Amino acid sequence: MTTPPFPAELLDACISCGYCLPACPTYQLTKDEASSPRGRINLMKAINLRRIEIDNPVAKEQASFCLGCRACEPVCPAGVQYGSLLEQWRSHAWQGGGPTVFALTTAVRWPVLLRTAGAITRPAKHRAESEYQYLLGCFERLLYAKLSKAMTDVFPQLDINPNQGCCGALHAHNGHPETGARLAHELGDRLDGTIVTTAGGCAAHLAEILGRDRVRELSEWIIDDGALGLDTLRPIEIDGRPARISIQDSCHLRNGLGVSAQIRTIVQRLGDLVELPSAGVCCGAAGTYSILRKQDANAVFRSRLDEIAQLQPDYVAVVNPGCYRQVATQLRRSRHAPRVVHLVELIAAALHT
Amino acid sequence: MVGEGNVRSHPAELISFGRDATPLHEGSADVVALPGSTAEVAAVVQVANRRGLALIPRGAGTNLAAATVPIGGGIVMSLTRMDQVLEVNRGEMLAVVQPGVTTAELGRAADRVGLFYPPDPGSRETCTIGGNIATNAGGLRGLKYGVTRDYVLGLELVLASGETIRTGGRLIKDVAGYDLTRLIVGSEGTLGVVTEATLALRPRPEASTTGVAYFAELAHAAAAVDAILAFGVLPATLEFLDDVCIGVVEDYAGLGLRRDAGALLLFGDDGTEASARLCVEQMAEICRAGGALEITTASQIAEAEDLLAARRCTLPALARVAPITILEDVAVPRPRLVEMVEAVAEITEKLGLACGTFGHAGDGNLHPTLLLERDDKRARQAAEQAVARIFAKAIELGGTISGEHGIGLTKKPYLVDQLGADHLALLQRVKTAFDPAGILNPAKLGS
Repeated sequence: MTTPPFPAELLDACISCGYCLPACPTYQLTKDEASSPRGRINLMKAINLRRIEIDNPVAKEQASFCLGCRACEPVCPAGVQYGSLLEQWRSHAWQGGGPTVFALTTAVRWPVLLRTAGAITRPAKHRAESEYQYLLGCFERLLYAKLSKAMTDVFPQLDINPNQGCCGALHAHNGHPETGARLAHELGDRLDGTIVTTAGGCAAHLAEILGRDRVRELSEWIIDDGALGLDTLRPIEIDGRPARISIQDSCHLRNGLGVSAQIRTIVQRLGDLVELPSAGVCCGAAGTYSILRKQDANAVFRSRLDEIAQLQPDYVAVVNPGCYRQVATQLRRSRHAPRVVHLVELIAAALHT
Repeated sequence: MVGEGNVRSHPAELISFGRDATPLHEGSADVVALPGSTAEVAAVVQVANRRGLALIPRGAGTNLAAATVPIGGGIVMSLTRMDQVLEVNRGEMLAVVQPGVTTAELGRAADRVGLFYPPDPGSRETCTIGGNIATNAGGLRGLKYGVTRDYVLGLELVLASGETIRTGGRLIKDVAGYDLTRLIVGSEGTLGVVTEATLALRPRPEASTTGVAYFAELAHAAAAVDAILAFGVLPATLEFLDDVCIGVVEDYAGLGLRRDAGALLLFGDDGTEASARLCVEQMAEICRAGGALEITTASQIAEAEDLLAARRCTLPALARVAPITILEDVAVPRPRLVEMVEAVAEITEKLGLACGTFGHAGDGNLHPTLLLERDDKRARQAAEQAVARIFAKAIELGGTISGEHGIGLTKKPYLVDQLGADHLALLQRVKTAFDPAGILNPAKLGS
């Protein structure tokens, strides 16, 4: 008899109270118990008890349908480690795949592939001897070089190691936790000191593998560690009034690392904070989810279209490059399209005005 | 009937519908329907009626007495997709909602027009109005504001035979016919399926204030509650927790509660700024005289809300201690609360059981929660004995075996001890009048 795939103590922590249901975006979409964290844990329990097979099609579909946003964790009074259970589940039963994701997760393991593809326009250089090492996230390198530029403009104290690799977060989310952990350790060895990142997803994964004290996400680095004085920022104005700025939280940053207030403190300094009721709900990017399950990702985002139309912010600030892509794509079709920017781009603009 | 996308029949899809939030109880659904309208509910009930199939209505599955567990199979009907607030009327001070609206969502809808829906069961963010009605759910404000039954003005109900009727309506006064609305409230899905509810709302209180008093023992906190009520105030909140519960709530919420105290009493009131403050000051004074170790008050609504929110999480937070949490729900006349608290401590201690006790002290409703390890057979047997003794004591004190969670499967064997054989036989005749074939939530109330 082989050992059950899930550690009993992690599953035992769930007493099925159902407090997670309202926090779960896929439960909100379907109102079907089976698409809730409690429902998914019931499936894991059934797998452990051998009532269903690990490759049961319903279970596999649920492992894939889950965004992995971990919104269920902060609302769980019992402290169930759902994110960890999900990674283990996916490692046994579901590896998010398809040619695009394969190309992506392969490419990010070898930075040289990204470079030959021309994705990194300007290879990074060592800048300063510093205890703060800037993590050039893979999404950022592929799609948002302007974000790295804003970071290096605002924070001259950051050192950049050109030979970084990938943190492995995407691998962990997509059913390869061992690869994910190995890549994180390798990256941690190359970037000694404190790793500073603009990517909430990378931050949470690295913090889990390398330890919380090795990692600082941009907003906590600014607020908690004082990396930038808020008094150096001047409010951004549009037509003579303060800019209206909304936020899209990064799930793993908010739910995994508990960082959300810091972003708001900064935004309040930059303009008028226009809080979207769904700011803390997954935008649907969710690692590679928006590539693998486009329709579901669209549905998850939908609540924000009405909110944005009603509240009419000038900017939606994101704190994770994956969210950047998803929010920008979703808002392209919207009539009242605010500009989608990363928080650091707003900070750079506020320094220059 | 309900659309192909809203039927579940693959065995793995059915697993979660075989259970609710009750530990150690599981049934198995043969099929699950998620209807989206009253017409769809009626169509499903008609099929069940024609074929003599069991039909188990279900909300969000937070029940703690296994009342939604499909013990003999059948159709489980989840009403979670019927989740629309149809109307909130400020002038008439009422709301009309579908059964799948959560209690918290109704609360927010009322709040948007300056009104307030008082019943607030611990699982308010998850649980549905349909489920609240089926169980006559209570919550933290029972003492001052009553329970779900006090707010249900009218219902739309699909009968076992498939017809749809309405009971009550938008009126405060209406005595035409038997009060079927009250009969349906708390009937646990055994008499019909609620497809719409008209609920009374109240003006939103201007302010609320909360205080915390620590005591050396739970019985001291219970005695303070007795003194508070004897003083002649009617506060909105009087909740207590023992040391085990304080520890787990603090582990989760991190509010800085005192872990070394034997008990915590959460007291609060709402109303005008001045009236709420006065009531809380009076209660604080009584606690002080009653030997409280320390007293703090939270004047900000946000702080008061944090304390209440943490209190609502007590049961699931107890899962931090042990994986099986057998939660009971006895209620006794308030002057007997101290005796009940002491009896629970004595019973669990004698049987060597770990127990965390919390509850709505103000309305005499106690939630002793037995904490068991997964495979401890001896503890399982001891827990059964403890439950029986706790029930017997509650009945002896003139109390009830269930204040607000319902009878379901878990308390059904004990119901006769409280009600007697004649009363139980009448319940069965009522059930037969509504549901002669016994298809609605079989093996529960009335059968």
